Amino acid sequence: MLSLTGILSVAYKETLHILRDRRILILVIALPPLLTLIFGYAFDSSAITDVPVSIEDRDQSDASQAFWKSIEQNKAFQWRPRPAHGPDVPDLVHEHVQGSLIIPHGWGQSLTNGKPAPLHLWVDGSDTSTGEEISGQLQQALGDFQRDSRNQMIDNLPVEVFDMAEKLPQEVRDEFGSAMEPWTLKMEVLYNPQQRFIDYVIPGIIGLILQLLTVTLMACTVARERESGTLYQLMVTSLRRTEIVIGKVLPYLGLSILLIAMAVAVAYFHFGTQFQHLWVLSLICFLFLCCSLGLGLLISSFCQTQTQSIQFAVFYLLPVLMLSGAFAPLEQLPPAIQMIAQTFPLTHFCHAFRMVNMHSVDIGFIAGDLVFMLLGAVVSCAGAALLLQRIQE
Amino acid sequence: MIVLEQLRKVFGETVAVDRVSMSIPAGEIFGFLGANGAGKTTTMRMLCGLTRPTDGRGLIDGRDIWRDRYAIRPKFGYVAQRFSLYPDLTVIENLKFFGGAYRVPQAGMERRIAGLLRNTDLEGKRAARAGSLSGGMKQLLAVACALIHEPMLLFLDEPTSGLDPVHRQQMWDLLYDLSSKGTTIFVTTHYMDEAERCTEVGFLDQGRLLVKNSPEGLKESFTSKLLELEAEPIMPALAALRNAPGVLGVSLRSGRARIYAGDAETLLTQWQRAWPFPEARLLGHRWVEPDMEDVFKAYSQGYHQMLGATAPEATLHA
Repeated sequence: MLSLTGILSVAYKETLHILRDRRILILVIALPPLLTLIFGYAFDSSAITDVPVSIEDRDQSDASQAFWKSIEQNKAFQWRPRPAHGPDVPDLVHEHVQGSLIIPHGWGQSLTNGKPAPLHLWVDGSDTSTGEEISGQLQQALGDFQRDSRNQMIDNLPVEVFDMAEKLPQEVRDEFGSAMEPWTLKMEVLYNPQQRFIDYVIPGIIGLILQLLTVTLMACTVARERESGTLYQLMVTSLRRTEIVIGKVLPYLGLSILLIAMAVAVAYFHFGTQFQHLWVLSLICFLFLCCSLGLGLLISSFCQTQTQSIQFAVFYLLPVLMLSGAFAPLEQLPPAIQMIAQTFPLTHFCHAFRMVNMHSVDIGFIAGDLVFMLLGAVVSCAGAALLLQRIQE
Repeated sequence: MIVLEQLRKVFGETVAVDRVSMSIPAGEIFGFLGANGAGKTTTMRMLCGLTRPTDGRGLIDGRDIWRDRYAIRPKFGYVAQRFSLYPDLTVIENLKFFGGAYRVPQAGMERRIAGLLRNTDLEGKRAARAGSLSGGMKQLLAVACALIHEPMLLFLDEPTSGLDPVHRQQMWDLLYDLSSKGTTIFVTTHYMDEAERCTEVGFLDQGRLLVKNSPEGLKESFTSKLLELEAEPIMPALAALRNAPGVLGVSLRSGRARIYAGDAETLLTQWQRAWPFPEARLLGHRWVEPDMEDVFKAYSQGYHQMLGATAPEATLHA
């Protein structure tokens, strides 16, 4: 039979440990809001701005000047003139730019003689995303520029052309007209209509911070007692192993609920992230915390010293941080890696949280995530209780 | 109260405790003596249900020390060799925690704690962190925590090692006080003078129980006379005597050489007739009563010629 007195005694003692270690306590309480702020700003916007790109206009024609004018406005770039008569392959590193655009000699003329020449762009490939972003932006600017000059050309067509067109059958004229109109996409954004990236990453940020704190804090609790010999003293009392495990988890559960509330408050008040279906979100958070604390306790029961358990915790947390889909969609990972990621509680937390908060799904849709976290909590706590016995053998 | 039958513990290749059998009646102060690594702590941990016996069995109040370990736990208190309380908790918080852990009812707790603080002289340190106490006070607090549930049996693993004489005395006063109230005490030590304070003493050597008897009984089992020689210079004399024929062992006591030998009288007669060691001069001799150290040395070194047939359990493992 579990005794409430036993559980409360351990919980009380554990609370005193937390309160007595002031330095860690201050750190633990300050970290979640602070990190939410920092990460929040870091991931606030996914659009690139002010990417330094150098440009050299070797053509100096009307067309090149006009194109130059059109892209000068683009917020994505911060244009810098390229030193004249530089090498043909630009030295991006020493120019301190991430790309370099050269409008080749005779470009303006090539646009009208039926053989349009390409613009020449060099990008820094070491950072795979920025290069794509630059070329995409330029491609679009070039498309806009082409459309404008086509419209201008149509406006300036000689009268004979129109006369000739009059003679064409209606269908051909319509077809021609459609071909000349830009074909467009009408996009409607669901679930996150303002496309606020911050709303997407907030669960990732909160989950990540809590995952980090719960596992590292918990990982020390049993190992510390093993190291100092107090575990023996505990084992000769009337306390059952389950009472020790539950008693140890309870205060940390209380602390981490407080921490998650602080991180959510920062997200709500500072970044304006809205939270829907609070009860379901609370349930998700609760199960996630139980599961993470259980994992920390499992690591702690398994290790002999605090040093060992911290090292273990770090080795466990590393893949979790990279692969749990906290900041980038999980779907981008290869299937095998996705399967590994499915074993992390943080993955299920992020998925369930986003599904409920952004997609407003009902609880049945995320039942799988909830069951996984519940099972994780139960299995890890039971495992920890079992490992406590090891000192007896 | 405590019965051990062929109790054995093997760690891998090492035999830590080798078929120990004995019984300790209720109310005794049992002193468990042995060198470091003799297996005292392992035996005590088996008794506390912290380590599973490899074979053999032990009973406390008729219940098996491993199978019924959860049922036995409330009956005893355990003070580990290392300080194992929570240094960041205060004296009173430690006591309260262990009270809760032993399921002491809230009602009697305050009175119980007040009594323990009085007996251990820790009343003035109620609010001090356990980690800030002196070594002696820490040990007394550890005993207080082990007594919070008023056990009838107390295990102490080297409770006085590293303590100053004042705190050692205080610790023993506390143990006598407990014993007079009927608590059985099982204490390990490697101080021979402490063995004299026990009602029963057991010698453990390399996992084997050599003998268990009262301190008086042990000294009486010493049938040979103990010879002490005064010689000058003493150190070369000791070295020479150690290798002399007929001498089992020599130890230095208060500047004299104490001789362990099966027939010391014959040796003395020979030496008085012709002193065979030119490196030292023989000044005189006297006969002394054996103390616990002599007894322990004789048993652990196997000086069987000195121990008569009165040694009741000396042949236990022969």
